[in-house]
Amino acid sequence: MSDTNIPRKRAVGRLDLLTGLTLLALLLAMWLALSIETRTFWSANNISNLLRQGAMIAILAIGQTFVIITGGIDLSVGAIAGVISMAVALLLQSHLGIASSIAGAVTISLAIGVLIGMFHAFGVVQMGLPPFIMTLATMYALRGLGLLISNGASISITNDAFTNFSRSSFLGFPWTDGTWFAIPTLFWMVVVVAIPLYILLNHSRWGRYLFAIGSNKEAARLSGVNVKAVTYLAYIVSGLCAAFVGILLAMRIGIGNPTQGDGWELQAIASSVIGGTSLFGAVGSVHGPLIGSFILTTINNGANLLNLNPFWQRIITGLLIILVVYFDTLRQRKR
Amino acid sequence: MTNMTAAETAADAVSALADAPILTLEKLDKRFGATHALKAVDLSFAEGEVHAIVGENGAGKSTLIKLLTGVYPRSSGEVFWRGKPVALATPYEAINLGINAVHQEVVLCPHLTVAANIFLGDEEMRGGLLDHRRMVRDAQRLLDELGFALPAQALLSSLTIGQQQLIATARAERRGARFLIFDEPTAYLTRQETASLFKLIRRLKAKGVTIVYISHRMEEVFEICDRVSVLRDGALVGSRKVSETNEADLIALMINRTIEQIYHKEPVAIGATILETHKLSGDGFHDVSIKVREGEIVGLYGLIGAGRSEFVQGLFGRHPAASGRIVWQGREVSIRSERQAMDLGIALAPESRRDQGLCLNMGVGFNINLPIFKRLSFGPLINIRRESAAADVQMRDVQIKAASRAAPVTSLSGGNQQKVVIGKWLNHGAKLFIFDEPTVGVDVGTKAEIYRLLASLLKTGTGVIMISSYLPEVYELSDTLHVFRGGGLAASHAYKDASHETILTEAIGV
Repeated sequence: MSDTNIPRKRAVGRLDLLTGLTLLALLLAMWLALSIETRTFWSANNISNLLRQGAMIAILAIGQTFVIITGGIDLSVGAIAGVISMAVALLLQSHLGIASSIAGAVTISLAIGVLIGMFHAFGVVQMGLPPFIMTLATMYALRGLGLLISNGASISITNDAFTNFSRSSFLGFPWTDGTWFAIPTLFWMVVVVAIPLYILLNHSRWGRYLFAIGSNKEAARLSGVNVKAVTYLAYIVSGLCAAFVGILLAMRIGIGNPTQGDGWELQAIASSVIGGTSLFGAVGSVHGPLIGSFILTTINNGANLLNLNPFWQRIITGLLIILVVYFDTLRQRKR
Repeated sequence: MTNMTAAETAADAVSALADAPILTLEKLDKRFGATHALKAVDLSFAEGEVHAIVGENGAGKSTLIKLLTGVYPRSSGEVFWRGKPVALATPYEAINLGINAVHQEVVLCPHLTVAANIFLGDEEMRGGLLDHRRMVRDAQRLLDELGFALPAQALLSSLTIGQQQLIATARAERRGARFLIFDEPTAYLTRQETASLFKLIRRLKAKGVTIVYISHRMEEVFEICDRVSVLRDGALVGSRKVSETNEADLIALMINRTIEQIYHKEPVAIGATILETHKLSGDGFHDVSIKVREGEIVGLYGLIGAGRSEFVQGLFGRHPAASGRIVWQGREVSIRSERQAMDLGIALAPESRRDQGLCLNMGVGFNINLPIFKRLSFGPLINIRRESAAADVQMRDVQIKAASRAAPVTSLSGGNQQKVVIGKWLNHGAKLFIFDEPTVGVDVGTKAEIYRLLASLLKTGTGVIMISSYLPEVYELSDTLHVFRGGGLAASHAYKDASHETILTEAIGV
């Protein structure tokens, strides 16, 4: 019995289907251009490498987006990834019974990520610190803590089952040049993270509350939203994603080192912004940062193959951020 | 005629100049795409005239202001300043001519001092550096002359909104404005500040400054204005001398309805007591004892700072009361948080919809559904169809004029935004509604709709506490009217059992 005069339109605040498609088109256009420019880009090997490389930033970016939607920011995700890589390595290499099994080490490491997220939320909600400051502080402190524990050394992981996971793949299909394209498990991890978070953000009321808080915290509170609890949720999601990436990182390089992941927080933020997230809050999605992170990874990958001076990559990334956000600003104004 | 003396000719010339309007609009027209915002308006303003412009929201008043201050370009028509055609293409051009506007939302810098704000963009220098001492001294002198008891060194943010508006006006005067537009200047002013403003307006008038006064408050139009023009749907429907018209006449021009039809008071059966407070005291209020019953509107009237908002905040749990008792539906309760109040069944539509009431960049549907997302969920997930249906029903019931369910609320008019703020609670099942200034900045037509909403609320067995600083409104609608003064109750009245004057006196405390 709904009034047919009120047109159906996708809700404000969530990334338009149009933006998502535009980003996807941009990504595919880049892939097309690179395939033409170099012979090695469009090989099953390179693309699966690209997916592996981008997976970790993608997961960081999705977690980061939850925090940015509430109007905050999480600068510590790179540090968390590094420290957790060390933590999981430490657990696997010690002889602590269940804690040293893969399942045990992974669970404990994820739990640490949750605790760090809760710590951030505590600082923001209970102490009233600006998220920038709070997460900047932990960014420094966590690495320091990690170095203290590891004494500056890297921890080699001898658990082959653990490290082989990152090289494995699951399912695949024939590639255009006749070889078999195996979808890397690392990429599947992105899917494993993205689907539940997509449902949380877009199809549950807590997702709505995240947007409400980012839009107007006071109005949300007066409308019955438990602002404190939802803020905790945002930072826990970010911390959890970062911890997960730390574990994947340890799998990939086979060592635990707290200095890893340096600068990854900025790449995560850049991916999120390219994906259409607004740093002012209340605008964001799951698929946007995902595509955005792979655009960034493609730039890196393509630049390497083209033998482009690596410094050019950073310039291109910077210009891309300006362009994408500019077009988004234009579109916001037209509303 | 041929034998006029030189003096008489000169006198004629001077009086001809004095009669010549300072600003004339000829068929001024503005379209925004398909919307015809201003329809070929012919209007002229004399020097030293206080000219009111009234009309509903959407009638074209703000469009007119924006055209005159150079913010928007016109679609067609001419504007003549002192007889010469002007383009008014940029705000800079308008300010240079002497056309200034003082808006409802103060466009000053809260982190700077009063003096800094007055001289912003036009600072006094000495030897290449800012001459702070002279600016503070001159600012203080200006403030004292205007009769504002405000220190020039104070931070602008420490002033009330009303005082900030007075500073904005002082700034315009200092800039040599010859044509000053006031947009709803008294919406947030105390009585004393309004008096200061009127004194200022009379002073400017004596200096020959033309004042355009835009307001929804009829009594002010009749108090201070010389002429009044009425806009309706973008067209000028009447322009009269204030002395030759009355409120009923103007309202009829504005909305084609009579005054009786605005304040819609339906007889509703009064039921059981929902809330009782016994000598409730807290920060900013003391010994407040009121009672709210089902089907009843309890009005809280008083000057700004009288303690109404403080009392309501104590009641709603924001700043919990220090002493006294609250009895909710027969049970004594202690409300220590807003969450608690909401769980009990109290809903609050706050005073500032921009700051506290709406998620501005989100859609109408989102805002309207925000309090009831839990109910629209199936377990952890939201039932999208139920969500859309609920929004549609609400928007239709409350008659919200918006492009679509997803349109951002910033695109709505002030009145429709207020309907969203109120409408989102209609389906919540709350038992007691607190409305803090429900119709501030809302036009007459939408006011009537909001009053009808309040009436329909009452029929469902809820009670309403309404804070209002607009005496006609709270007078016509309250079953019980409490007058606050100095943090406590000065008086309580049953429906219309005292005159406006009596209530006003009680509020002022003469």
